[in-house]
Amino acid sequence: MLEKTLTAFITVLAGVSAALALYWVLNKISELLPEKYEERLKPWFYILPAYLAIAIFVIYPAVQTFIYSFKTKVGFPAESWTGFDNYTTLLASDAFRQTLLNTFLWILFVPAAVVILGLLVALLADRLPTKGENAVKTLIFMPMAISMVGAATVWGLVYDYRPPGRPQVGLLNGIVAAFGGDPIAWLQQNAFHFNSFLLMVMLLWMNVGFAMVLLSAAVKGVPSETLEAARIDGADERQVYVRVVLPQIKGTIVTVFITVLIGVMKVFDIVFVMTNGNFNTNIIGNEFYLQFFNNNNQGAAAAIAVMLMLAVIPIMIYQVRNFRAEEAAR
Amino acid sequence: MLQRRNRRKMAATAVAAALALTAAACGGDDSSGEDGGAVTIWMSLDQSVVDGIQKQMDIAAEEAGIEVNIERVDGIDKLIKTKIQAGDVPDIALLPQPGVVASVVELGAAFPLDDVLDTGALESSMVAGALDAGMVDDQLYGLLTSMNVKSLIFYPKKAFEEAGYPQPESLDELTELAEQIKSDGGTPWCLTMESGDATGWVATDWMEDLVMRYGGVDAYNDWVSHDLPFTDPVVKEAAAYFEGVALTEDNVLGGQQAITATPFTEAAKPMFDEGKPGCWLLKQGSFFVGPDFLPEDVFANLDEELGVMGFPPAEAGGENPVLGGGDLAVLMSDSEDAKTAMNLLATADIGKDAAPVSSFISPFKDFDASLYPSETTRTIANVAYDSTAFLFDGSDSMPAEVGAGSFWKEMTAWLNGDTDIDTALQNIDDSWPAS
Repeated sequence: MLEKTLTAFITVLAGVSAALALYWVLNKISELLPEKYEERLKPWFYILPAYLAIAIFVIYPAVQTFIYSFKTKVGFPAESWTGFDNYTTLLASDAFRQTLLNTFLWILFVPAAVVILGLLVALLADRLPTKGENAVKTLIFMPMAISMVGAATVWGLVYDYRPPGRPQVGLLNGIVAAFGGDPIAWLQQNAFHFNSFLLMVMLLWMNVGFAMVLLSAAVKGVPSETLEAARIDGADERQVYVRVVLPQIKGTIVTVFITVLIGVMKVFDIVFVMTNGNFNTNIIGNEFYLQFFNNNNQGAAAAIAVMLMLAVIPIMIYQVRNFRAEEAAR
Repeated sequence: MLQRRNRRKMAATAVAAALALTAAACGGDDSSGEDGGAVTIWMSLDQSVVDGIQKQMDIAAEEAGIEVNIERVDGIDKLIKTKIQAGDVPDIALLPQPGVVASVVELGAAFPLDDVLDTGALESSMVAGALDAGMVDDQLYGLLTSMNVKSLIFYPKKAFEEAGYPQPESLDELTELAEQIKSDGGTPWCLTMESGDATGWVATDWMEDLVMRYGGVDAYNDWVSHDLPFTDPVVKEAAAYFEGVALTEDNVLGGQQAITATPFTEAAKPMFDEGKPGCWLLKQGSFFVGPDFLPEDVFANLDEELGVMGFPPAEAGGENPVLGGGDLAVLMSDSEDAKTAMNLLATADIGKDAAPVSSFISPFKDFDASLYPSETTRTIANVAYDSTAFLFDGSDSMPAEVGAGSFWKEMTAWLNGDTDIDTALQNIDDSWPAS
């Protein structure tokens, strides 16, 4: 224990002093340059380590993943190129197409629902007295602080199933049983992807608080003069919200939407813990995990990661543009 | 300026992280290895088993004039490979699966035992097939040292005897028993298999047991190595029997949806319902005899409450293979002392102190059965001793994408009614990696 603590301490100390030394050296180098260049180049010297870090920890793995996606048996003696085989095998498999469909449903449903519910809570809580508002917001924000696996344990108890006649541990089946019904194996019901939606509810539960906090701050930031002006002009409350408040917080809505959207595309833990993709609930994040860690099929896992990357890039570009436009308007 | 400072902080964090990684990579520990001629044995068994074996080993080692240290390590199946790469290995390691033994042999870290042990004598004193489990390329590398049994059927003893049900001698008689229970108004099978991200293993155990019964030892081994495809008639015959058990109306407590939805840990509890058992028969491994899986009062009065019998063979009196698992001792040093220690492990006596205090079952048929802590454990041990072949869990030896992947998933989908058995078997077969 002492040894580990000491190692950690020395590591931190060495890391920080190395960073300091690095900047000191970079600073010295820039000072050696003629004054004209010094001012011009100094920022670049300072940015360099950060860019280097990004190159090593983000760009290099991304490129490597891209390369792996065209290989088979990565890391084994039999490693070899397979062209587009990883992609075609995946896309030709029925199971993977279902996985994509499920992921698409998540993307379609979760971000929109999070924004709508978050906005609703933000607007309604805004009308409560301060104490009430705080209480409501705290309650709704709380799930955000629970880890995904913890949430899965909680929701495992909500959806739990025991055979008829046995004591029902699950909340939902407890209610069903109280009304005299037969218990339902919730997570096994995959008609119309019902069980996927049950899993999405978990993510909603965790993310609505996040959306609410950001949107609530935005709502409060709307200048009250604009609201008053609208009311004086005879707008009813609905019109005030739709025509005056919403347009002014549009930027925040888009940001929340995109943050949740990207989160949804990567979602993994919920499905892994609740069903491991069984009963047709698989999504792309879980499939990646299974291919990589379970099947030792790094090529296919890389192909999945590349597809995910390709899908996320346009959204990122939109988000960055949106952000820039906002900055410019400010 | 503010931005600039943030960047610096970021870079500092990155550098620190990089350093931390390097430090972690270099910080291996260099315990064990050559320490004064003592033979080191690594195992991941329970502490009580390790203590018991050490006790007997001390007595035997002193007689033989050597010193033996047994170390308990966590997760030896993964650990051993990294330790081999690091050149830091014990003299003997107890590995939990034939597949791990094979990979250690492949890495050139194991020595064959054919000339070290008296294999002829072991052949007759150990459970049938015990030596075959440790064979790699027709040479003995792993010596079965402790075992567990999976081909078991548990039942509520009192109610079962009261109802006067017979112990089935064949698979057909087992089906008849289930029919009889049903006609008496009961539900025959306790079959539940939800197991988090490992859901499916209960079903693959069933399939393994049935494939070895319908196909025999050779077909089973061929199936495990994929020389026999999943679409083979033998596998389909096994699946058909399992389908009869699992998906026949009123055969399983809670019906079809309960199978995949109920945790496997809950299976035994309905057998001990007040009044009439909720279900009567449960096929599970010997590990199920534990406080986690049985009601408290049942576990306290194990021998009166819980009945156990072997999963019957295909034909009464015919080939009677048994599915199980265990730990295989692998020799990783060719020193004379290590070989002597290996011979000490290859005796029934080595388990004398471990058996009474744990779930340890000796693979030696001449082991003093009175040492087992309960009648239940004795019966379980006898199921293995009376078998015609002891076969290791096949899905463990299949490639992971099948054995811990498609085999689990397709069985689960089939039992949940999402696919039919032929499609499921075809999908499993297709998922077998080409190489």
